[in-house]
This record gives sequence, C-alpha cells and structure tokens, in this order.
Amino acid sequence: MSLLLQKIATKHVKTLIIKYEPCVLVISNRKLNIVPSFYDGEQDPAPKFFTPNVQNLLKRLTRPDFTKVFRKRNNQGLHALKTPKYKFLTKEELELEIAKANEKADVLLQIPPVLKIHKPIDEVLSRDPALIGYDTSKYLFTDITFGIANEERIIIERDTDGTLRSCDHDIRKKLNQVYFPITGRKIREPHMFSDEEKFHNLLDRGEYEFVLDRACIQYEPDEPIFQKITSITYQHVDNNKCYNTLRSTRHFGSMTFYLTWHQSIDNLMLEIIQSGFIREAVLLAALRHDVHNDVREGTAAQSLAQEIFTTPLLLSKLERLTEEDIQLDSKCIQCIEKYIVSNSTIKSQHELALQGFKEDFQHLSELRKGLEKAHGNV
Amino acid sequence: MCSKILTLSNVLSRPMQLFFKPNATSNLKPNINVTSVACVSFFNKLPAEKLWKSVTSVSNAGAKKGRGKGAGRIRIRDLNRGQVIGTGKVNMLWPGLSAPVIRGRELLKQQKLPDDPERMEKLIKIRDSMTKFRRLKLSSIERGWSGSRMPGRSIGPPDPIGEGGDRKWSRSCWFGLGKAKEAPAALRKAKNRAGQKLMHFEIYNGHTIFHDFFTAFGKTKIFVQKKNEGYGLKCHRAIREICQAIGIKDIRAKLEGSNNLQHIVKAFFIGLLQQRTHKQLAEEKKLHLVEYRAENEYYPKVVASPTEVRTKDQIPRDETLHFVQYVMNDKVILRKKKFPPFYEKMPHYKIYLKKYEKYRNHEKIRQMLKVEYGDVKSFLNERFPEEKVEQSET
Repeated sequence: MSLLLQKIATKHVKTLIIKYEPCVLVISNRKLNIVPSFYDGEQDPAPKFFTPNVQNLLKRLTRPDFTKVFRKRNNQGLHALKTPKYKFLTKEELELEIAKANEKADVLLQIPPVLKIHKPIDEVLSRDPALIGYDTSKYLFTDITFGIANEERIIIERDTDGTLRSCDHDIRKKLNQVYFPITGRKIREPHMFSDEEKFHNLLDRGEYEFVLDRACIQYEPDEPIFQKITSITYQHVDNNKCYNTLRSTRHFGSMTFYLTWHQSIDNLMLEIIQSGFIREAVLLAALRHDVHNDVREGTAAQSLAQEIFTTPLLLSKLERLTEEDIQLDSKCIQCIEKYIVSNSTIKSQHELALQGFKEDFQHLSELRKGLEKAHGNV
Repeated sequence: MCSKILTLSNVLSRPMQLFFKPNATSNLKPNINVTSVACVSFFNKLPAEKLWKSVTSVSNAGAKKGRGKGAGRIRIRDLNRGQVIGTGKVNMLWPGLSAPVIRGRELLKQQKLPDDPERMEKLIKIRDSMTKFRRLKLSSIERGWSGSRMPGRSIGPPDPIGEGGDRKWSRSCWFGLGKAKEAPAALRKAKNRAGQKLMHFEIYNGHTIFHDFFTAFGKTKIFVQKKNEGYGLKCHRAIREICQAIGIKDIRAKLEGSNNLQHIVKAFFIGLLQQRTHKQLAEEKKLHLVEYRAENEYYPKVVASPTEVRTKDQIPRDETLHFVQYVMNDKVILRKKKFPPFYEKMPHYKIYLKKYEKYRNHEKIRQMLKVEYGDVKSFLNERFPEEKVEQSET
C-alpha cells in the first residue's frame, strides 16, 4: 500500500499524501515545474535588445489595442469618476490629438529593459583599523544632493572594522528609497514575492499583469530577483498559453524576447498561427533570426518583416482581402512553411495549424475572386 | 333602514290577512293590496353618495361661519362594508352564488339555513368603528414625499380605454394636470390625462442626458448638468421622479427662482425635448465631436462625425467652439470663488499646523504596521509587552 502511495507521490508532485495511522494527512505541495533563469554574465542580451529593429518587432508583436491600453483601471488613484468632456474638432486638430494619444500609448507600452545581472560593487575607499571598537554598528553616508541620478549617488559605509567602502546594490536601493521614494516601491520586500506559496497562487489565478507591474515598480531590471520573478512568470504564461492577458501591455515585448532568447517560441508561434495572424508569425521568425541568427531563410524573413511594417496593424482576423493582402499573405505562408521545416520542434502541430490557416485563406481569396466577378472587375 | 321598512310591511300584511280570511265568501273587496314587496322610496332611488351628502353637507352660509368642520361632523360610512352578496338578513343558501351548484354528485337547491342572530350587531360594530378618520397604513416603499399624503405617491397606470396595445413604456414619460372637487377624482383625471400625452426621450448610454442645458418656464429656471455614472439624481424631488420614469440615473439640476411644481415639471420637459443628440450636434456644427474621459487617460474618442467636416478657415472668428458654451446657448454659469474657511485666518492656526505635523501621518503608519506585522507594533513598543498581556486578560 505504501509503495503505491510512494509511486503516486513521485508522479504527481502537486499533492503529496502521507498515510500516518490512525489519520490520513494530506499535504498540498504547490511546486511548479518551472526553473527560474537569469541573464548571467556570459551572454548579454542588452546589445541585441536595444537595436531599433528588435524594438520595432517587439512593439508590433504586442498588437496594441487602444481600448485595452487606455482602459479604466481601479488603481489609478481616481476616487470617483468624472464627467466626460467634449470638444468640437476639425480634421487636422483631430489628427493632432490622435498623434498625442499615440505618444501617450508609446509611454504606456514602453518595454521594460532586458539587461544582464549587475555586478556586485566592491570598492574600498580606505582602511582605517584605528577605528575598530569605535561603535558597534555600521555608519551609512548618503549624498542627498537634489539633481543627481539615483544610480550615480554616492552611498558609502563605514564598517565596524574601520573600512570605508561603497555600498552594495541592496543597501543603495534601500537608502535611495528612503530619501527619494518612488511611489509604489516598498522598503520591505512584498510578501507576494518573498512567499513562494502566495506567488504561485497569484500565477495560478492568472494575475500576470499585476505581478509583472508590481515587479517593475519594486525592482530594477538588472536585479537577480527581478529576473527570477519575470522568468517564472513568463514560463508560466508560456505553459498555460495565456498570451492574450499580456497583449497590449508593455510586458508582452519582454516576454517574447525572453522566450526567443531561451529558444522556446514554439507555443507562441502555434498560438499566433492558430489565431490567424500569419504576419505576426513572420515577425516572430525574423525576431528569432535577429537574436540567434539560426533561421534558414532568415534574411528573407527579415525583408518580409520590413514589408509588413509598412502595412497597418491588424487587431483581428481580416474579413475581406485585397490584392496586396493576398500577395503578402501568400509570401508569409511560404516563409512560415520554410521556418517550420527548419526550426520548429513541434512540427506536426505547426503544420496542422498552418494547414487550417491556408484553408481559411483560400476560402477568403476565392470569396474575393467571386466578389470581383460579381462586380464585373475581372 | 330599508330592511326595517320590509319588516313593517310584513307586520301589516299578516293582521290584514287574518282579518279578511273568515269572510272569504263576502262580497267586500279588500281595498288593501297586501303583498310582501319592497317599498320604493327615495332611499332606493338615489345612490349612497347623494344620500350621505344630504345628511352631511353644509349650506353656503354655514360654511362661511365654519360649520361642519368640528367634532360633531358626521362621517360618511360605507354601509357595504361587512356584507357580502349572497348573505343577508334571511340566511339562505343560493347555489351558484354563495355555494357551488353541484357538490360531489348532489345538485344543491335553495334552502334556508339557520339564522345568525348576531349579524346586525356585527354590522353595527363595524360601522361604529368607521367613525374616526384613520391614517392610511403605508409601507415604506409606497410612501411618497411626506408621510401618507398623496404628493410623491404612485397612482398606478392610467385606466385603459379600448384596447391596451403593447406600447414601449421605457424611455417615455407623461404628465397631466387634473382638477376636481374631490381628491380621488382629481387624481383620476390627472392620471388619465397624462396617459394621453406620451413623450419619448433619448438618453446617452442609458444613464444620463446628452449635454448640459438651461430651461425656464415662468419664473422657474433650471440649470441641468450631465454627470458621470454613479453620480445619482441630485435634483428636486419632482425632477427625480421624472428621471426615474425616463431612465436617467445621473444628473444635476439646480433650481432657481420660483419652485412652482407645475412650472418645474414643464420646464424640465421642455429642456429634455430641446436636447440634441451627439449626431445632431455634430451635423449642426459640421465638426467632429470628441469625448475625453479621465478614467481612459483622456483618450480622444470620436463620438459623432458629420457627413462633411469644415476646415479651420471656414469657421468664422466669433463662433462658439467651446462645447458647454455652445450647448448652453452662450449662457455661462456663475461659479463663485471658493474662499478658505474662517479658521485659517485665526492667529493660532499656524501653531496648530506645526503641532499637528507630528501626528499628520500616524493614521497611515498604523495602517501600514497592521499590513506588515499584523498589529500596531514596532521596535519601539517591543520593550513593553505587558500592555499586550493586560489587554488579553481583560
């Protein structure tokens, strides 16, 4: 009996049942099969990430829907709703307003930077063994001049053994928060990040955007904790295929870059093809080529991506196709077919999805031909 | 009274019959025709209203002197109370009326049931209890603006005339004025007159009007403002009733001048009818109408577009382009300057602010301590844990 239970226990890691006479004890072990990863010293993602090409690809892949980007949020600080204001605008004024709104959207959708972990600071300014026994505690000195960036601020400590050294990152961050606080950032580590149970509970509930937003406020992008949290979250999203929760937010770009960097874009590719956004699939292939240079027809994908940039953003599947749409989409289909052959690890599923898309595409193009005939424009 | 007359005739007929019966063969014709027939007099010819009026009404001269209002005033009593059709002084079973025609397999027949000697006493008791004027017992939902008085209470739908038909009652409202000598009659007239004049209104997003407006009728002026979801109906109670009927949930209506109820209602209806939808406004102005909402980070949302749009050159210099000004017909609402409260000028106020600075943030700190440690505790009160023990003892 115990052997069987042991077998069950080893297979299903989520719940662990121990039979202890006379009662049965059930321990729920919320262990996720996710291993956090960091951008360690050897491979620096920053040079690849900050290229304009990669940035454009990531922005395009997030598929920003302004109704979601500018949606009503409950944590904005608005205590009560306000009456809407109305304006009469001419066409030019309206275009100006829309341009301003696009800039605001760009700010809201700024992708959090992907950097490698910061090196520990270990600079000793002076050694004064004469000060041993002066006091039982360290002294911390912070330069609180207004106008200096937090990263450049001079924060030094005098240890009990007399050495004067620059403080390490965690003390620096704490003191910067004390003297120049950022709203939303807490000095004490929030429970949701320190407690594994709570963190996994949040992820299971699907609160990806909340977790990532709070992580962005609480930590800097080059901290190991931030990398750990975001990597676990992105893997969880990838496992559950809930990409739509992060679309139209700033986190989709960093998630896509993470998945591309770690060579696990297959699920994302599958989801994109299944939703019918073949152009985004090409963009993803081009992104992979930019990061890893290992797509066989990579340069073709990149040039096609450039062509796609000129077309307007699609928020949903096309109902009607124009001639240019048909040409572009057929090129995209060819590109993706080659990609699946060379770079996909779940070839069968990808091919099945692409087959489904091809059928839809054919149906739509036939419909178009029929309409053209009916209108007499053959 | 009528019943009493019946008994008299019975009393009369019996001795008459006895008197004439032994001489049945005589040639004397009985002059008195005795049959038990109900007497017909003015009691039976006139309706109860008129009869009571004759007893209770007061002459013009008497009314001038204030007669007929005091303690001796006779109250009109409804004599039908306590009586059911089918029951009467002679307690009989009427199949089809007070009993079923067929009970089981048996066909019932008219039969006399035993008398109820206390019937009259019961009726008299009921009629005696009707003397005092009783306040209507209303539940809180039925209550109007003040107690059990009529203003603010719902009278119900108008009386149907002919076929009912299926008209859409939502987003529509009506009002009517009725005058009569008695209150219930006046109410009925108003109700029915209102039913004739149905008015349809359009609402923005199902909760408020399209734009602010100003209306007036007589000396009553109303400034109406469009408000956001959740604001509520901040207006005169009559306007609130109208809004509830139409379906407006958020509005602010400031009354100025006279508060004559009829004028308020008329003014408000005039304003609602003169409202223009966003599409109409865009067409009038030939410009895009764009909405900015604070909760959507003031994203410019085009609400209505005209068929052709004007350019900047085509707009004359003096034209009002400001939305609220245009919609209020160039009327500007006076916004009084808000002055600081009187105590801020007092000499001790600055000293108070300096003293209060110590405790200004304490509420937030207590909250944060409870969030982080579960209790209001810190390294400062770790040294005195007895306080906690005392609390647990008490």
